[in-house]
Amino acid sequence: MNFLNLSLGELLGLTGAISAGVVALYLLDRSKRNQVVSTLRFWVSADVRTQLKHRRRIQQPWSLILELISLFLLLAAIAGPRLGIIDGSGRDHVLILDTSAWMGSRARQGTLLDEARASARAYLRSLPSRDRVMLVRADALATPATSFESQHAVIEEAIRESQPSASALNLEQALDYARIAQKQSKRPGEIVFAGAGRVPEEQATLDWLPPNLRVLPVGTPQENVGLRKVGLRRSPSQPDTWDIFVVVRNYGARPHDVDLALQFGKSPAGEKRFSLRPGSEETAAFVYKTRVAGYLEARLNIRDAFPQDDRALIELPAQAALRVIVYSKEPQLLRPLIAANPQVQAAFDSPDQYNPAANADVVVLDRFAPPSPPRVNSIWIEPPASGSPVPVVQTKTAVRLERWRDETELGQNLRTQDAVLESSELFQPAAGDISVAEAAAGPLIVARQDKDLKLVVFGFHPGRGAMKYQLATPLLMENILRWIAPVAFRQWEVQAGTVGIVRVPVEKGTDPASVRVLDQNQRPLPFTIQDDTLQFFSGAPGNVSVLMGPRETVYSLTLPDVAEAVWTPPASVRRGVPRASLEGSATRDLWPWLALLGGLGLLVDWLLYGRSRVFRLRASQMVSPLSSRIAAKVGWRRQERKAS
Amino acid sequence: MPDPLIDTPTLEKIERLTIHWQKSLPGLVGGHNTSRFAGPGQEFLDHRHFHHGDDLRAVNWRVYLRLEKLFLKMFQLEPRIPVRILLDISKSMSAGAASKFDYARRLAAALCYVGLVRLDSICLQPFSARLHDAFTASGGRHRFQPAVNFLASLQPAGQTDFLASARQFISEYPQRGLLLVISDFLDEHDCEKPLQYLADFGHELMLVQVWADEDRQPPWEGELELEDAETGQRVELAFDAGARARYTAEFDEFCDRLERVALRNHGRYVGLSTSVPVEQAVFNSLVASGVLQ
Repeated sequence: MNFLNLSLGELLGLTGAISAGVVALYLLDRSKRNQVVSTLRFWVSADVRTQLKHRRRIQQPWSLILELISLFLLLAAIAGPRLGIIDGSGRDHVLILDTSAWMGSRARQGTLLDEARASARAYLRSLPSRDRVMLVRADALATPATSFESQHAVIEEAIRESQPSASALNLEQALDYARIAQKQSKRPGEIVFAGAGRVPEEQATLDWLPPNLRVLPVGTPQENVGLRKVGLRRSPSQPDTWDIFVVVRNYGARPHDVDLALQFGKSPAGEKRFSLRPGSEETAAFVYKTRVAGYLEARLNIRDAFPQDDRALIELPAQAALRVIVYSKEPQLLRPLIAANPQVQAAFDSPDQYNPAANADVVVLDRFAPPSPPRVNSIWIEPPASGSPVPVVQTKTAVRLERWRDETELGQNLRTQDAVLESSELFQPAAGDISVAEAAAGPLIVARQDKDLKLVVFGFHPGRGAMKYQLATPLLMENILRWIAPVAFRQWEVQAGTVGIVRVPVEKGTDPASVRVLDQNQRPLPFTIQDDTLQFFSGAPGNVSVLMGPRETVYSLTLPDVAEAVWTPPASVRRGVPRASLEGSATRDLWPWLALLGGLGLLVDWLLYGRSRVFRLRASQMVSPLSSRIAAKVGWRRQERKAS
Repeated sequence: MPDPLIDTPTLEKIERLTIHWQKSLPGLVGGHNTSRFAGPGQEFLDHRHFHHGDDLRAVNWRVYLRLEKLFLKMFQLEPRIPVRILLDISKSMSAGAASKFDYARRLAAALCYVGLVRLDSICLQPFSARLHDAFTASGGRHRFQPAVNFLASLQPAGQTDFLASARQFISEYPQRGLLLVISDFLDEHDCEKPLQYLADFGHELMLVQVWADEDRQPPWEGELELEDAETGQRVELAFDAGARARYTAEFDEFCDRLERVALRNHGRYVGLSTSVPVEQAVFNSLVASGVLQ
């Protein structure tokens, strides 16, 4: 016999303390009561007075003994005694529940996860109650749902609360985690995997498996065709056009013919029919022209086991054009430089129509100084010396353009050779100004940023003279506009992918400091760049933006990650729910009987010696002969009262 | 500010009551109970022969015209007799959880108020081993507050001695009247004989016995060490349900004897438990006994 909840010493100590308390209370309750009464005449005349010459402190010893025995029985019941030989060392098991996206697919009854839950619960019920179990939910990450818990109800509750995630199963990591957890517990036990075992191809055959692994397989190979990836990006040549490509995969074992339909704002945007061989992927490209924002939906018209990957919804941003107003008497000189840019929406006005609060992003002032400076970004071309925002030092003829400051963003990638300007102003830059092009005598082009306003001042006209035919001229204008309004020239790219690890190819030598990875709440996500590949992890569905210079890629990670392969455990691995442990059935719990006896003893004590008159009178009539005989045997002289 | 003893709503309810006595007691005119004694009154009582000195206004002239004899009309007297309340203030009245003393004071206050409202002459006479200072009032409800102050100033003390108190009462109050005794009647000696003395002297007895529930049915069980509240005597005993039944029977027998004393002398008896509210005791028990109407 052993005790589940208390040691023998604790039981005896508790019994002693409570018995002492009970005896004290008993003596207090049954001790002589002092009472002041109005008169003694009735007490005397009623002949109830009895002089107690040898008064005992304990009036009803049988009651006290019965109470003490009953309390001991109740305490023993609390201690949880068990009859039989018990191996006291319980075991620690790690139960890995597959909560990958694939577990949400349809099964015969409910989902695959429902079957896995049922198997896990069956396994749990087969364990003896002393065994502890840790539940680990496994998808792309192995997450412990509970610690090693001996209360199996807690584990069952955690199993019931498990839901399929959006990522694929990383079985290798989950098994490794279980092995480490079990090693730390220092108690033997099993590692149990309950799930479909749909893993990436590289994990289809695992090199190492724990020797104490048990598998509770669920599900059968099922046919599924799903969207693998949906990508969109603005066409470099036509910014209002989206290049769309969709990757569809057949995960099943049979060929399937699938219709793919694209919709933008509930309007058809494209469709294609795929004939997919088992395990194959196909890509379809579409072009869709729109400047407005909206939702693009890609849908596969098929009814398969896993409908979650048959539809993808991507939010497309609006195409914002850069509004430029050119105030010039000779707009034909500037029109090729500015209006040729497809991301620029240019308007040409005469200087007479100058408006300092023009509704534009950039204002170009061609050879005139306005009475009041513009309130938006501006490009000044050969401004009069009196009205130039950057002081003009002198105006020279036959000025040789010595060099471009290609270390700046504005002078990047600009080259000219023997460029001689017929006439040009030379400026006196202030501190913080950016010199873009310089002659021997001083800067020819100066850029300035004042808080939110940016301006660029040309000392010469880029559309006239020697610069008119230079290749650097349109590039210079592109650099200036990109510097003034970088958002308008940002390259948008949207990818609908699966949660988990995302890999993005980057240019060689990309500085990690120039890259930002932000989640949908604009909080930075950790990432690494290795071997020209940016890599980050997103465990939950949502949008992630990757900003690299002018390029912004939005990853809409909403597609569930369905692994390609099915892990098949080796034949040596134990399978299925084991039979219920015989160790537990060899013991018998005694506490219900002890509790019943203890309660019965207290009830009898109450009936015989309690203050309830009705029961007491009846019971005493029945039991008093018996108790008198017992008292006579053990030698107690009980004081007989006239009333009885 | 003394304890008001009885709240105003209760006083408003009981002021419609009247203290009623059965005996024909002599007294000055102005009462509200009829008497067998003749005197100035409204109700015709009898005729008698005219004697010298009789009031000529009472001669029945119609009879004289017919019989040529002088007969005098006699009228029923409604005497104004004293109402005396003997209030037990011995220590036994304060023994136990429920104070009989407070209950008795409130009851006396209620009876005093009823008497004062009907213009009776009220005398509050506390007693224990002897009579203590009395309070006498008559002439309207405005004298009620001094009566309350008097009752509130009383403190329970001393032993009960009915015999000594009765003798002193008879010697101090020669005029017969209604005598209300509010007490637990728990005297070490017999209280029936003194009560008989009072009745024999001509007083109309109204015995109001006040007891606490524990006086009649002690709730305790087991070993008890009892102390007499008045004498301080101690006794140890074992008490159980059977003993309780005998005790209660003895107590009830004592009450019956008290009632017999009252009835035998054309008086009345009311037994009141302190668990019964005073207002309920006045309107139920006292009205039912006839002392209040």
